Amino acid sequence: MKRTLAALFLLLAVLTAVWANGRPPAPIPLTPTLTGETEYCLTCHNDLPDISAAHPTAVFGCVRCHGGERLALDADLAHSSMRGGANPSDLAVVEPSCGGSDCHSGAVSADRDHIQRVQTSIQATYAGAIAAVRYAFGVQPDPAAQLGAFAVQDTETNTGVPYLDPFNPAQETHPSILKFSQNCLNCHLSADPLPGGEYDRFTGCAACHTPTQNRAPDQLTHTLTTAIPYTQCNTCHNRGNYSLRDMAFHPRTDEANGRLQDYYQPIGQFTQCEWTLDCIDCHTRSEAMGDGDIHSSQADIQYVQCRTCHGTINEPPLTKTITDPNDIALRLAALNPVIDLQVGDTILVTEQGEPMWNIRQLDDGSLQLTGKVTELTLPFSRVMDTACEQNPDEQESHFCHECHAVEH
Amino acid sequence: MSPSFFHHLHPPTIPKPQARFSHTLGAGGLAVFLSLTLLVTGALEMFYYVPTPDGAAESVQMLTFLVPYGGLVRNLHFWAAQGLLIVSIIHMVRVLLTGGYAAPRRFNYWLGLGLLALIIFLDFSGYVLRWDEGIRWALVAGTNLIKAIPGIGPGAYRILMGGDAPGPAALVRFYAWHIFGLILLFIIVGVWHIFRVRRDGGIAAPPPKLRQNRERLPRNELVRIEVVAMIVATAVLILISTFFPAPIGPAMSETAPPTAEARAPWFFLWVQQLLKNGDAFFWGVLIPLAVLGLLAALPLIRPSLAPEEIGSWLPKSGRVVQIATLGIILTLLILTLL
Amino acid sequence: MNVTPSSINPTPLSRRTFLELAGKGLLAVSGLLGLGGLSRFFSFQTETAVPQTFALGPAENYPPGSRTFISQAQAYILHTDEGITAVSAICPHLGCSVNLADNSFDCPCHGSRFALDGEKLQGPANRSLRDLSVEISADNQLTLLT
Ligand code: FES
Repeated sequence: MKRTLAALFLLLAVLTAVWANGRPPAPIPLTPTLTGETEYCLTCHNDLPDISAAHPTAVFGCVRCHGGERLALDADLAHSSMRGGANPSDLAVVEPSCGGSDCHSGAVSADRDHIQRVQTSIQATYAGAIAAVRYAFGVQPDPAAQLGAFAVQDTETNTGVPYLDPFNPAQETHPSILKFSQNCLNCHLSADPLPGGEYDRFTGCAACHTPTQNRAPDQLTHTLTTAIPYTQCNTCHNRGNYSLRDMAFHPRTDEANGRLQDYYQPIGQFTQCEWTLDCIDCHTRSEAMGDGDIHSSQADIQYVQCRTCHGTINEPPLTKTITDPNDIALRLAALNPVIDLQVGDTILVTEQGEPMWNIRQLDDGSLQLTGKVTELTLPFSRVMDTACEQNPDEQESHFCHECHAVEH
Repeated sequence: MSPSFFHHLHPPTIPKPQARFSHTLGAGGLAVFLSLTLLVTGALEMFYYVPTPDGAAESVQMLTFLVPYGGLVRNLHFWAAQGLLIVSIIHMVRVLLTGGYAAPRRFNYWLGLGLLALIIFLDFSGYVLRWDEGIRWALVAGTNLIKAIPGIGPGAYRILMGGDAPGPAALVRFYAWHIFGLILLFIIVGVWHIFRVRRDGGIAAPPPKLRQNRERLPRNELVRIEVVAMIVATAVLILISTFFPAPIGPAMSETAPPTAEARAPWFFLWVQQLLKNGDAFFWGVLIPLAVLGLLAALPLIRPSLAPEEIGSWLPKSGRVVQIATLGIILTLLILTLL
Repeated sequence: MNVTPSSINPTPLSRRTFLELAGKGLLAVSGLLGLGGLSRFFSFQTETAVPQTFALGPAENYPPGSRTFISQAQAYILHTDEGITAVSAICPHLGCSVNLADNSFDCPCHGSRFALDGEKLQGPANRSLRDLSVEISADNQLTLLT
């Protein structure tokens, strides 16, 4: 009798074990072709879309970028060694996540040095603002950058700034600088954004390349794109003003209800193209992601002007006919295929030689821009041979705005 | 019914009062059962475990999460090991509190103490085989204890670790000790221990003339009870292993930053607590050895037990031993929980 | 031959004892030699020695005020007013790596605490953290010697 009861108990225990073993979701293996090491993240994350066409899950898998324990089916353990939490592109961990000579920390010549460039870029170092404010309050003798959001160096400097020490509020004594450190360091690439949907973005590469518009608070998004909408730029830009007087950030108070109002300059004037296009339709990679040098001011790196596309009264814009099938312009167009760019096509280039691959000069000589985000096709004209009398040396936007601003 | 091999492992009859569960607590039998479970589940684990620094934690994860019933096997091995240590201690305390250590069983008590030490080493070496972040500092601090022994320390460390730091050689050595070296010793001493139990006349009981209750339990009944107990123990172990997974951590990493907290495995928490007092050799080696020595010395305490009191709980003539036992156990318990 | 007690030479008994003793002694010697061999067997170093120098890259990576953990070397590089210095992260008590807290190095294992210059603040460790030397080459590259 006792033995029968015991046997029954054992059977129940065994059945429980069988039930428990069958209960967790069946493991879903994935062997990314890049790493060749099987990982089981898809067991839970099978519903995630490819993060981008350039990073298909079948090739990259998850662990190459995110880290984590590839074999663990326990969520806590699997996630315990992930890089940068949900965002492996945070600049603190970007090198192991996105780096590698075939990936984004490769040779300059191969145009694969994104990580090096971004880390020295003004959007990451915030060196311009830091230097300007410290200079304004007499803490440093000139506005040349000394400190950045983090320590960074540039062994082959062209700007005379070989390295930046980290800006450390603990070493500052001037009350305004201390206020600055409390109130004004929310917009560099490593900074957590201010609370509020309008500021909502990730850090690192994802700050720009992962659109966060309209996402629910803390909702994760698995997207990387080079078609960065102006709304993403607007999570930092056009959000208000930093006031030197009280060393505080004053958010804009108006209700933006249209493309034009999305831009924020109380006294600003804009031409049509500035609020029809997205920022990246004109502004280039080196302006946004840096050119590898450490700069002391945004003005040193931002160089695209009206004339870059429109030319001046004396000169047409610079063009280039694509001959090399490996041309960077073709690579960029392939990543964001809003136009079918081919060898033999003629595109505009900037005075620094950066391709404006979305702006073609057609066979009839006319110019045509395709919106990188909107995909709109927008023909436009040169300044040459028009009635414009603008001095070629005065091409900063505000000169053009005097005639071409749109009323608002 | 003609007696089988298993019947032959038992004496034809044993004294009934001492065979009762309330007397033995079933601890010795349970220890045998758990040891066998460990051998079987350990053998199964060997089919997947990879004793290299790069492969160890991964293979443990594979076993735990991906191999069908692999997690169950690992949990069984883990819980059987923790259980073995606990029932061994219970067994020892029972022997000390019921006078089972008295002559002629003194030698067997020492064999048992040796088994306890082996079990602790087996437990620690098995714990280390995880080779994940969870065991890292226990491994570093635990092995550095050896280095702290004056004179022979550094040499002994190298003998144990095969290098100057935990690395591939150390892992393969822990593996060899865990799955073979220590097991070999454990089996030899264990069989010796069981042999001595019969040789010394079974579970300790007063000499026949002094017994009040002369009832005896025949071995076929004993075997039947053991079978039922084993079935129940298996079921309980399976249930525990199904619902309480063994600890596991991310693979040990060269680049991991220092942690703010590091805990020894539970059976060494008392040593970790002692070590907070200072000198590593004194608190980490001498004191634990002294505890072992104290336990070994208990059967030598005079006066020796009155024969008629052997085999019953808390015999009057063994008060000193009982107080010392409870004192040691309580102290260790408090240090562990601190 | 009839052997009577009286005819027994006293030597055979002592000879037997002697032989027994000698036998045991010889076995013991062999045993000791065996043990010695065994310990030599186990002491072989299969691994190359732990490296003692570490290239740390350009000094700019360690700006003033920085406290950087070098995991391969288990050391912290500190850039203070006195320049760039290094201190071992290995707790002199039992070797756990000390963790950088607000203003001290705290050992996670048994609670030793050290000042940022490595000075012992609180036991059980009986020594301070080991000072390591950092060399700066002409082209500003750092090398750590442990
Ligand atoms: S190892 Fe640091 S306090 Fe013990």
